Amino acid sequence: MNSSTNQPATSAPLSDSAAKDTTVPIWLIVVLFLLVYWGAVYFDEHGGWFDAQVYTPYVSAEQVKDFQVSGGETPFERGRKVYASTCFVCHGPNGLGAPGTFPPLAGSDWVNEPQPGRMIRIVLQGFSGPGLKVNGQPFNTGSAMVPWASVLSDDDIAAVITYVRGNAEWGNKASPVTPEQVHAIRQKVASHPLSFTPTEIEGISPAE
Amino acid sequence: MKYGPLVFLAAFLALSASWCGFVLTPQIQLGRAVQETNSVVTSEMYPQDRPGSARQGLEIYRAEGCAYCHSQQVEQKGTLVDVFLTDAGKNSMAVAAALTEQHLGTFSGPGLAAGLPKPVLRNASLDTAKALANLLKKAGANSQLRLVPFGPDIERGWGVRRTVAEDFIADSHVMPGSQRVGPDLANVGMRLPDVNWQLMHLFAPRSVTKDSPMPSYPFLFERKKIGKQPSPDALQQLPKEFAPAEGYEIVPRPEAKALAAYLVSLRADVPLYEAPATPPPAATNAPAVTNAPAK
Repeated sequence: MNSSTNQPATSAPLSDSAAKDTTVPIWLIVVLFLLVYWGAVYFDEHGGWFDAQVYTPYVSAEQVKDFQVSGGETPFERGRKVYASTCFVCHGPNGLGAPGTFPPLAGSDWVNEPQPGRMIRIVLQGFSGPGLKVNGQPFNTGSAMVPWASVLSDDDIAAVITYVRGNAEWGNKASPVTPEQVHAIRQKVASHPLSFTPTEIEGISPAE
Repeated sequence: MKYGPLVFLAAFLALSASWCGFVLTPQIQLGRAVQETNSVVTSEMYPQDRPGSARQGLEIYRAEGCAYCHSQQVEQKGTLVDVFLTDAGKNSMAVAAALTEQHLGTFSGPGLAAGLPKPVLRNASLDTAKALANLLKKAGANSQLRLVPFGPDIERGWGVRRTVAEDFIADSHVMPGSQRVGPDLANVGMRLPDVNWQLMHLFAPRSVTKDSPMPSYPFLFERKKIGKQPSPDALQQLPKEFAPAEGYEIVPRPEAKALAAYLVSLRADVPLYEAPATPPPAATNAPAVTNAPAK
C-alpha cells in the first residue's frame, strides 16, 4: 500500500486489486451496528414517531395525552368557558340570541332534542339558509352560523353543547354530549363542504 | 471518471435523503396543519389572526432583519406537576393521615381545610402526582394538578411553555429565528405590552435599556416641528439625551407603528394541546418562577 501511493499513473489499478484482497475489518462492522442501534434508540426516544403533535420534552402521543389534565373542571364548566369565548358573540350571554337574527338557545326546541345529532352537526359545519323556525319563530335574515369544526376540538364542542343543553338557568335540561359522539359525527360530516340548511338538517335523524 | 454514474448516484442519494428529511417530512407533518386545538382554559381563542397593522408589522420585522438577532422560540426542558388540594372533603383527618403517610410533611386534620387551594406536592412527575390525586380522592378530598413547564428560557421569563408550530399558524411568513444576540421575542407582547416603550426602544434602544447592543432605527421615525399642538403619536417620555431639540418631536412613521403593533401581538402564554401548561391562577402569581429548578 505504501509503495503504491508513490506511483501516480499506475496506482489506481494496483490499489484496486489490493483492495479486492482486503476484507472489511470486523471492528468496523461492529461500530456500524452500534451506530445503527444507537440511531434506532435515539429515534425511539426523541422521534415521537413523526407525530405533528409531539414535541420535546414529550416523547409520544400517549404521553402528551396523559398531560392533558383538566384542572378538575367538569365538562359543564369547560363548556361555560368555550361559550364565553365563541358562542356568546351571537347567541348572547344568556343564550337569548337576537330576535329575528340570531336564534335563542335558551328553551329552544332545537337544543332540547333528546338526541344531540343535529346540534353537533350545526356546531361543526355551520348553519344557514331560509326557512329556519325556532319555537315557531322564523329566522329569515340570512345571517349564517359559522362552522367551528376547524377551530374547536371534540372535547371543546362536547363541553359547550353539554353546557348549552344542560343549562338549567336557561331552562334547558337535555342530556350531556361526549367527545366520542362529536368525533363520530365529525367523521361523517367531513365530506360535507357547506353549512347545513334547515331543510337538510331536518332530513337527518337526530339519533344519527 | 470510471465510476461517474456511481458517484452521481451516491451524491443524488445523499442529497435526496436530506431533502426527504428536511423538506418532505416536515411538509407531510405540518404542511397542511390546521388549527386543531384551541385552548379554552383561559377562556379565549388562540392562536388568532393578527390584526391588520400587526400583519404589516411582520413584513417590517422581516425587512429590517429582526430575526437575525431575535428568536421566537421558547425552549422547554420538561414539565413538572404540582398537586393542589382544592377541597379537604368531609373527613379531613383521613386526608391528613394519607398525606402524612406519603411523607409530604405533617398535616393536621382541622388545619387542612384552611387556605385552600394549597399545594401539597410540588415539582413531582406526572405519575407521582396522579397517584397522589387518586389517593386523595379515595380519602374523600379533591385536588387539582397544575403543570409547570421548566427550562432556562422559561426561567428568564420568555414564555410559560415551549413554542410549537401551531403558534405560527396565523402568520404567512414565519420568523422563528435562530440567533439570540437579543432576547427571545415569542412572548414579548405579554412581557412588554406598552406600545410607547416599544417605539422608544426602536427609535433609541439605549433610551430604555442602558447597555443594549441593538441598532437604533431612526429612519422609522420622523423629526417634526411641533405645530399648534403636539402630535398624539409622538414619543412620550424620551430621555433628554435622546430627545430632539426644543420645539421638535419624534413621530413614528406607519412602519414603526406597524412593527410595534406586531411586537405587542407576539405571545406564547396560552396552553395548547401539544404544549400543555396550567396558567397561573389569578390570585397567586406565576408559579413558574417559584418552580424553577435550582441551578
